[in-house]
Amino acid sequence: MKFPYLMLRDFVETRLDADEVGELLTMAGFELEGIDSVEGDAVLDIKVMSNRGDGLSVFGLAREVLAKDSEAAPTDLYKRACLRFPAESDHLVADGAIRIETPDCTRYAYRVFAGTTNAVAPDLIQQRLRQAGMRPISLLVDLTNYVMLEVGQPLHAFDFNLLKGETIVVRRAAAGETLTTLDGVLHDLRDGQMMICDLDRPIAAAGIMGGAETEVSATTTRVLLESAHFESRSVRRTRKQLGLNTEASYRFERSVDPEGVVGALNRFAELLALGGGGFEPEPGVLDVYPSPPPIRTVKVRHSRAEALLGITLTPSESAGYLKRLGFGVEGDGEPYSVTIPTWRPDVVREEDVVEEIGRIYGFDRIPERLPRGTTIRGGTQGALKTVDELRSQVVRAGYIQILSHTLRDLHALDARGERIGPRQPAGPDTAYLRNSLLPGLAEAFRRNGGRDLHLFEIGKVFAKGPGQGGSPVIELRKLAAVTQGLLYPPARPKEQPPLADFFSLKAGLHAVLNRCELSPTTSGDERYHPGRAAAILEPSSKSVLGYIGQIHPNAAAAAGLPADLCMAEIDLDGLEGSTTKVHYRPVSRNPAVRRDITVTIAKAVPYADLERALRLATGQVLERLWLVDLYEGPGVEDGEHAVTFGLQLRKFGENFTDEEANLVRDVAVKALFELGGKQR
Amino acid sequence: MNTPEALQSAALDEIELASGSPQLRELELKYLGKSGQIMLLMRELAHLPNEERPSFGQRVNQVRAAVQGRLDERAAELRVNEQAAQFTREQIDVTMPGRPMRVGYEHVLQQTINRIKDVFHSLGFLYLESPEVEHFRYNFDALNYPPDHPAMDDQDTFYIDDEWLLRTQSTAIQGRVFERMAPPLRVFTIGRTFRNEAVDRTHGHTFHQVDAFMIDEGIGMAELKGTLGLFARAMIGEDVTLRFRPDFFPFVEPGVDYAISSPKFAGGRWLELGGAGLIHPNILEHYEIDTQRFSGFAFGLGVERIPMLAYGIEDLRHFYENDLRFLEQFRNLATP
Repeated sequence: MKFPYLMLRDFVETRLDADEVGELLTMAGFELEGIDSVEGDAVLDIKVMSNRGDGLSVFGLAREVLAKDSEAAPTDLYKRACLRFPAESDHLVADGAIRIETPDCTRYAYRVFAGTTNAVAPDLIQQRLRQAGMRPISLLVDLTNYVMLEVGQPLHAFDFNLLKGETIVVRRAAAGETLTTLDGVLHDLRDGQMMICDLDRPIAAAGIMGGAETEVSATTTRVLLESAHFESRSVRRTRKQLGLNTEASYRFERSVDPEGVVGALNRFAELLALGGGGFEPEPGVLDVYPSPPPIRTVKVRHSRAEALLGITLTPSESAGYLKRLGFGVEGDGEPYSVTIPTWRPDVVREEDVVEEIGRIYGFDRIPERLPRGTTIRGGTQGALKTVDELRSQVVRAGYIQILSHTLRDLHALDARGERIGPRQPAGPDTAYLRNSLLPGLAEAFRRNGGRDLHLFEIGKVFAKGPGQGGSPVIELRKLAAVTQGLLYPPARPKEQPPLADFFSLKAGLHAVLNRCELSPTTSGDERYHPGRAAAILEPSSKSVLGYIGQIHPNAAAAAGLPADLCMAEIDLDGLEGSTTKVHYRPVSRNPAVRRDITVTIAKAVPYADLERALRLATGQVLERLWLVDLYEGPGVEDGEHAVTFGLQLRKFGENFTDEEANLVRDVAVKALFELGGKQR
Repeated sequence: MNTPEALQSAALDEIELASGSPQLRELELKYLGKSGQIMLLMRELAHLPNEERPSFGQRVNQVRAAVQGRLDERAAELRVNEQAAQFTREQIDVTMPGRPMRVGYEHVLQQTINRIKDVFHSLGFLYLESPEVEHFRYNFDALNYPPDHPAMDDQDTFYIDDEWLLRTQSTAIQGRVFERMAPPLRVFTIGRTFRNEAVDRTHGHTFHQVDAFMIDEGIGMAELKGTLGLFARAMIGEDVTLRFRPDFFPFVEPGVDYAISSPKFAGGRWLELGGAGLIHPNILEHYEIDTQRFSGFAFGLGVERIPMLAYGIEDLRHFYENDLRFLEQFRNLATP
């Protein structure tokens, strides 16, 4: 809310300048967004919290200044505003002139002014409206805006002569009715939208905007000035449906003091008289008030306030704070009783009152104290801990972590399956929830030069549900990586570091893959090269957790990626429960012996089968097993290769003899023969 | 036949003239070897009369000692020179770049998250996570949002359908925790949150948010401030001061926003970090927590905000663009 500093000074005598008032209000919860100099005066721009409609007026903010600044004093204007501008005029019974037909209107009052010329408002009023960011229009309109700025009550002036009949009806629109608002827009009204109507038709959207047909003009000679109170929810719903947002609706949506309705009419009359414009009030205010707010009291324990705020203060101090804000305080016992002012619907229970005490005492004065209490085992545990460990292991293997967007557009590396996204995305960039981490990795890969990169991400991906608790999505935590090109940068000219391939990625993801099994299939996933990829299986259930492999050449072309890029994506939630156990063996002090064995065997026999057979055949004495040579060419039949294994054998507590070592070697060779191996 | 003295003189002359270790080794063989000249001279002993033998032997031994001594000295001298030459020959340019190993690193937000987790772990808080696609009930209702309240205006939300949405705040975890755990408790979470906002330098549709809360006996604003102060100083530096200011969030009462000030940033200006307060009694009562016995605090903050403040990062979008020229500047974040 913007207002000139001098308007505040109409209400408060204070030594604080505009900056100091801004700071005070900030610390009271009304944040200063800025101070501008407009037409030579300081104008404060204050951000008012959504539950504090009472702060949307200079009078309301003056109350905060008076509460926080003990040296400030209220002016006569402030005191009369507190008394709601008592006036001599009679309070007339509406006598059928106002018919309220909806519970969403809690109060409706008006007064009629008659005169000659709706010319211009006094210069000061016009200037202050401009300073507050409003455009001066005419005497009557400007005064309604000025009163709203002063006391927060929206007013609306109808040209009374343009109304059909002398009756105001507040009711819900019927389908088929229309209203052209002041901005010239014709609205087809919907059933239930609260309207101010004459006997024939809607003439204003209640609490939002007046109608064009009954707008005051230069020729207006009789004015019906409306001051009313409407339920915030109804105003909010209707103004959203109509696509409007006005100073009036903004206030009604938050809160307006229903008790200030008539006072605003009186203040208008005062200003009109001061301004000397050609309008005079007709006698009497018409006021229908079907549902005055109940008087609300809250029991407050002083000890509770001290405990929640973490401060000590005397009961009279806290009572003083509350009274300065307009709360009533009765009794000094425990608990005491606090009456909530009608402009503070946000204060409902004891804690709310405690907050008020804290606000005026100053939250900045609350001391820092560390909690005492029950010790609980904290930290990151279980599956979440596993995720942290896997992440740091992949980092240690030399991969760089990226974070890419959850919301995105479609991509060639998306996973299969029906897509899901926000029903109202902000644009094509946020149309879908990602169903794979690979698109984000592919984009990061391209962004950073498109070669010699090794990247990974851990994050959530989404498949169409139903998921947990009836969710429309299944939310899965995945780990994915892409790798291509030089495994490390060449340090010197002519050095040729090794290139990333399936096996470097397999080693890089060892921390994850050692809990899984690989099966040479892509299950038809068209993102992977069918001959150079594997499904990653959960070892006990054999369910597929993901894939690892070289990119399919078609996918590479579609995604603009090199064809030798390798990638993997794994469901980490599916890993839960898998653990790597340590089987400790004492370290032998006896020497090891080595035996190499060579067989020729069909290339179709997987290496893993050979290794498994060797381990099974040799047992505990096999300390280390490795591939020494792999040969195909002259001397070996087509479709076969010669495989040479190195076996390091060692016993615990005694040495291997040559004979024993040869025996193990023969057993090992025999095991390979059983898989189809032949002597070379 | 040479006299021992003549042999010594010849040997020493040759030793002086040797220019390298190989020649010295040759001279050692020539004079001191098994069939070297001194050995040969010693064999002359047999041809001498008995009475001359002791003195002759003694003289030959003196020659051997003198030659050996001088050889050793000379070898040491030559080695010094030769090694000096070797060192010159083998000199490398130590200013050339090192031979890099490939080193991976975590994203700057991940490193920030890790540090935040360290601080909360040290305070005994349990880390939990909840879904990113969340039910309206947990995102709003359970957090004391009245239906249709204007506060929802701030959070234009990505809805999947009428009930499910991309959570607008990680605070949505609170209802899920209160359904399963009874106080006393200390819990925190960190995760992605989503708002349907136009993207610019300081706004994104996605950001990471910390939400931390504890419920125990005797928890008030002072305990909240103490915890936040400790957190801010651990994250940003010991010279950080903390300020509370009233603010409104439906799920806390009283509610504050908290700002930090440090001489290191923005000339000591107050920089808002997030919102905090005492958990609203409506929420505690809804989950049947005894509000006469227990109270709690909660606070939230944006993860991105911390590196933005600490390093002067000017544009939120950097965090999700994955430009390695950006990320590698933060490969090893130090603790302040």
